[in-house]
This record gives sequence, C-alpha cells and structure tokens, in this order.
Amino acid sequence: MLAREAVVEWRTRSLLSSMALFAVLCVVVLGLGVRSLAVDETFHRFVLAMLWVCSLFAALVGLNRAAVSDLRRGFVHALLAAPHDAALAYTARLVTVLCLLLATQALMVLLAVPLLRFGLWDQPLLLLIVPLADIGVLAPGVLLASATGRVRGGEALLAILLLPVVVPVFAGAAFATDALAGGQGWRAALPFVLLLGICDATFAALGLLLFGRLNEA
Amino acid sequence: MKSRSHSWLVVVALAALGLAGVQATLYLSYFYTPTQITPGTLWVVTPDGGAPVSLYESYRIFFIHLPSAYATATCCGLTALGGVMLLLTRKPQWESLVVSAAEGGLAFGALVLLTGTLWADFAWGSGRLGSGWNWEPRLTTMLILWLAFAALLVVRRALGQAQSRAQVTQITAVYGILLGPLYPLVSKAVEIGRIAHPLSFKDQLSAPEVALTQRVAGLGVLVALVALVALRYQWNELGRQIELERAA
Repeated sequence: MLAREAVVEWRTRSLLSSMALFAVLCVVVLGLGVRSLAVDETFHRFVLAMLWVCSLFAALVGLNRAAVSDLRRGFVHALLAAPHDAALAYTARLVTVLCLLLATQALMVLLAVPLLRFGLWDQPLLLLIVPLADIGVLAPGVLLASATGRVRGGEALLAILLLPVVVPVFAGAAFATDALAGGQGWRAALPFVLLLGICDATFAALGLLLFGRLNEA
Repeated sequence: MKSRSHSWLVVVALAALGLAGVQATLYLSYFYTPTQITPGTLWVVTPDGGAPVSLYESYRIFFIHLPSAYATATCCGLTALGGVMLLLTRKPQWESLVVSAAEGGLAFGALVLLTGTLWADFAWGSGRLGSGWNWEPRLTTMLILWLAFAALLVVRRALGQAQSRAQVTQITAVYGILLGPLYPLVSKAVEIGRIAHPLSFKDQLSAPEVALTQRVAGLGVLVALVALVALRYQWNELGRQIELERAA
C-alpha cells in the first residue's frame, strides 16, 4: 500500500507540488506583511505561530488533493475490492502525507530564514514537536478527507470539519512552541508534548478503526 | 401510530417540566438566594493577575451557566455514543440521536457562551459588551466545541444534497465519534496553560438557599436538555420517515 502511494506520488507529484507551492506563497505573503516590523522576541513568536498556521493549511491542501485524486482514479472502489485490511490503506495514506508535509515544512522553514528573519537553530527542540503535531492533524484529516473528497466543494467542508477537531493538537503545538521560544525551557513544554502524544494516539486509533467503515458506503 | 402520539405526549410533558424547572431556577436565583452576599466572600481572580474581583450579584448567572455547561458536555457524550451505536448497529434511529444531541449541544453551548461572556464582561472586562473576552482557557474550549457541533450540522446539510443517504450516515457517525474525545482533549489542552475561570464556589456559596437553587437549576436544565434532545429526535425521525416515503 505504501509502495502504491509512493509510486502514484512519484509519477504525478501532485501532492508535493501543490503543498510546497502553497507553503512558499504563504511565507512570501507573510514576509511582505511583516517586512517593516522590528525583530524582537515577540516578532519571533509571532512568526512561529504563523508558520504553524501555514503548515495546517498546507496539510489541508494536501489532504484535499489526495482525496480528489483518489476519487478520479477510483482508489476507493479498488480498496473495497482488494483483500487488504482498510487500516493498511489508512496507514499508508497517513505515512505518505506525513512525509510530504514534513518535506513542505522543511522548505517553509528554509525560506523563512531569509524572508522572515527566522532563527532556525535557536530552538532545535522544536523539531521534535513538528512530527507529533503533524500526526495529530493528519490522523483525523485522512479519515475525514476520504469522505469529503467525494463531494463537490468538499475542500471547504474538510476545513469546516477538521479545524474544530484538531484544535487541541494545534493548541498543544502552539503552546509548546511558545514555551520554547519564550525561553521557558523544555520542562515547560513537556505537558503540551504529552498532550500531543495523547491526541496522536487517540486520533490514529479512531482512524484505523473507522477508515474502513467510512468507505463502505 | 398510537405509540408515536404517546411519545409526542411524553416529549411535550418533558418540555413543560423543563420550562417550569428553568423558570423556577430563574425565580429562585433572583428572589430566593441572598440578595446581598457579604462583601468580600465571593472573589474571582483576573486573567492578568491583577487584584481579585468581588462577584457581588453577578454570581446569580452561574445558576444557568453551570448546568448548561454540563448539558453541553452531556451532548458531546451522547453524540459519540450515537456515532458508535450507529456504526455498530446501522439503525438509522442512532443517526437521529447524533443529530439531536449536536443540536442540543449547539443550543446549550450558545447559552454557556452567552452567559459566560456577559459575566466575563463584568468580572474581567470594563462592563462593555465583549470587553471580557480574553481567550481564557474554558471560554475557548466551549467556543471550539460549539463550532464542532455547528460543523457537523452544516456539513450534514451540505452533504445531504450531494451524497447518498448511506454516505451521509457514515460521515455523521464518524464525526460524532470524533466529537467524543474532543471535550476532554480541548479542555486539557487549554487548562495546561493559565486558567482564570472560577473552579468551585463550594466554600463561598454555602448558604442553604444557594444549595437548593443549585439543585433545582441542575434538575431543571437536565429535564430541559432531555426534552430538547427528545423533541429534536422525534422531529428528525419524522423527517427521515417522510424522506423514505417520498423515495418509495
């Protein structure tokens, strides 16, 4: 399943190109907006928060593209006919979009260094928070996108459904980042990291259990 | 047909009881509980760490606010329960429960947000409408939950025009289940940060009149919640049956 996802993405490069382009545009527009602001601690914290917002919307773009592509290629019908467990398909999709989102975020941060005067090496511990937050967003996202992707205008519906659900993840990631960026140290961020872990486990378990059911209809 | 009319009668009786309970709560909270709490006994901290604010008369709003918050949390649980049962049994009645619970959550959540904001305007703000909204953790929690209830209802309406009935049902069930852990997770997410929301008034509100009013309020809002969910359940079931007859 994972190989199938990788091959499809390698051939089309539709997910990575749309997510990366969206992320680049976000950073450029954001850079234009904040070009005249003074660079201080508040500025860095604001930039970090905005990068989280950009990541979240890049994830939405990727999930929508994947769902639309599935519909066009008849992936859901093939999934139902295949002898595989639906949980495998869910895991493969989750891992694929996670890898692509991490690549997009790496690009976004690289661009943010010159455009947003972002101190990449100020807080290396942030790198541990990113994958945890990504899983928390993508686990329910993959599940819901498989349903909304089948509807005209499903892109907007996915955002409406997903954003309230991922608020605890987003809040955990933003607060942990803020604690680190504010110089409060790793101990202050630890409760939020634990919360991210709980969210990841809960949403991933629900996704594994429900993905097959959702695509039966 | 006879059993249906009986169930409507039960719903109407519950609604009347619920309304009476809420009316009794309003009466007791304004005319029975002490009109003048000893100044200085009811205090609440401010989010900015400033001097504590005395609540004086504003505590009366809690008799509606607190039971409504519990009712919203109950709706969250009912939505998740309905979602699980819908997936397990595939009986459409559970879908009606998910939708009715979401509608109940939307109504009581709005009440919690409204009363909470009004109180915060007095206690944390300048008294001007909206001045008390400060992204305090529990305020934020309730807003997110309310948005999630609204999302479920809006998306169902949008999907209903485009998807097959079975697909709408599946999405309703899955989203209902996702709403289940949302309340504790959002609550935990924001409570790790600094919380300024009053947590308990047990010590301060020990007057017997207050305890009685709290009990009446809890019971009244609970009955009102059951009545509202039951009413919407009946209504949704009726709509589903009409839809089925039209399709046939």
